[in-house]
Amino acid sequence: MNGARSKAVVLWTVVAVNLILLAAPTLIILGASVTTGNIITFPPDGFSLKWYGKVFGSAVLRDAFVRSLWVSLVCTVIAVPAGTLAALALARSRIRFAKLLQLYLLLPFTVPLIGAGMGMLMLFGELGILGELWAVGLACCVINLPFMIWAVLASANALDADLENAAANCGAAPLHAFCTVTLPAVAPGIITGALLMFVLAFNEFLVSLLLTDANTVTLPVSIYNSIRNVITPDLAAVSVVYILVATAAIALLDRWVGLEIFLKSK
Amino acid sequence: MLLDTLEAVRALLWPRTMRRYSSAVLLLPAIALVLVLVAGLAWMGEASLHLLDTETFDTGEDYTAANYREIGAQSTYWIVLGRSVLGAAIVTLVTLILAFPYAYVMVRTASAWTRKVLLVSLFLPFFIGQVVRAYGWLIILGREGLLNTVFGAVGLGPYKMIYNYPSVLFGLVQYLLPFAVLLIAPAVTAIDEEIELASESLGAHWLRTFRHVTLPMARPGLVAAALVVFTLALTDYAMPVILGGGTNDFIANAVYDAFFRISDSGLGSAVAIVLVLIATALAAVILTVLGAGTLGFSDERR
Repeated sequence: MNGARSKAVVLWTVVAVNLILLAAPTLIILGASVTTGNIITFPPDGFSLKWYGKVFGSAVLRDAFVRSLWVSLVCTVIAVPAGTLAALALARSRIRFAKLLQLYLLLPFTVPLIGAGMGMLMLFGELGILGELWAVGLACCVINLPFMIWAVLASANALDADLENAAANCGAAPLHAFCTVTLPAVAPGIITGALLMFVLAFNEFLVSLLLTDANTVTLPVSIYNSIRNVITPDLAAVSVVYILVATAAIALLDRWVGLEIFLKSK
Repeated sequence: MLLDTLEAVRALLWPRTMRRYSSAVLLLPAIALVLVLVAGLAWMGEASLHLLDTETFDTGEDYTAANYREIGAQSTYWIVLGRSVLGAAIVTLVTLILAFPYAYVMVRTASAWTRKVLLVSLFLPFFIGQVVRAYGWLIILGREGLLNTVFGAVGLGPYKMIYNYPSVLFGLVQYLLPFAVLLIAPAVTAIDEEIELASESLGAHWLRTFRHVTLPMARPGLVAAALVVFTLALTDYAMPVILGGGTNDFIANAVYDAFFRISDSGLGSAVAIVLVLIATALAAVILTVLGAGTLGFSDERR
């Protein structure tokens, strides 16, 4: 059929444009990171891992990397219990003011990052916790919390409430029922949410830029500071860290939960 | 057993009679976290009402709306606002046009392998972050970048492809594509393919089927995607600063400059509050007029 042909051609053309757009920066960074030359040229001067060596040898970048890991860890550790419990409460019971509560919990999404970030900068300054790394992690958790709630809620809504009731009827104490029935059922959501929170905090740029100082810069901020000077291939080698972390997160997500979960209609 | 001990502790701390308050307690940590943001905004709102004394560099004690009047009086802010709103509108349109076919193919394809490739291609940039992606574009589009090298080889250029308005918009489209696709895809999944087949078997061209069946039925996803993409583009900081190089500032850059360049936290707070109000009003209007789409937390799904 002619119609079906033209449909496939048009749709796939757009998809191809998308794929090029999405993949181009990643591919170029991978390519640039293994160049031999001192500046990035095309075609590359040859294959070399010397920039990776330089990056591993740089205490500044290593420290920034470790700080970013720490920030992401703090963010995830706070978000997982807080988001999971909130999602379970939202899914399970008829809460009074449910609509209002939803809007409130969606605030981190509706408030622009620069507003949230500057507000927290002033608040943290007043509280005397500005410059603390854990405070950066806390801030990353606050601005991305809806992702965590949303991920667990998707699993919790699929959970049959009768299962929990059945456990209770069979004499399971509340905590026991929670650990053996509820938690396993929402585990995919918790894993998805935790991975999202970790990766988003690891990538968070603006809030990190606002809340860190010269001694506590995280990796995205440190890359940004270097971009503004001369663009050298060692920066591409650092950026590969992000590509690796992203690849690992996707692999874990696909293995434990399945990426297809994001296509499910609610 | 450990669980029994915990159970005993729980019973002691939280007897059955308290169960009706359970959901409130479960919500407390999340409410407290969001409160950090609200408190920060409140603090900033208060700061926006004080005027900076340009001689002593102290903020005044008195409450005044002078900072807000200052924003209205300075044409710079109007230009930045206009540039941001126009940019966000263009970015939203282009992103949705690109994202919908992607989401559609990803959901409808019969091949599990194709679906996986499309999903991974989407998540990889999503998980890599803005700074690194912008850096990749600098290598490609920069003055001595990949494209100019290619052009140079055939005797063209070099062209100036960064530090201008289109490059900022381009970077934003690339940054926001995954958000749009991930919000549209569930809405496409919800459309029964049989309805499209019915339309086509009755002789409708696929474009007509798209326009009259698929797109209207995918509206919740499109609304959510448009709202998220528009807001994120309007309020973005990284793309204008990295790909615009300070030549094409958006509102967030103006806020940053007011704080860190002019060191006027009152004025900066006022600009930020205006931006928060614009974004919130926008979300409220769109959500009331068009419905919550796929963004709502729970109500629609029951």
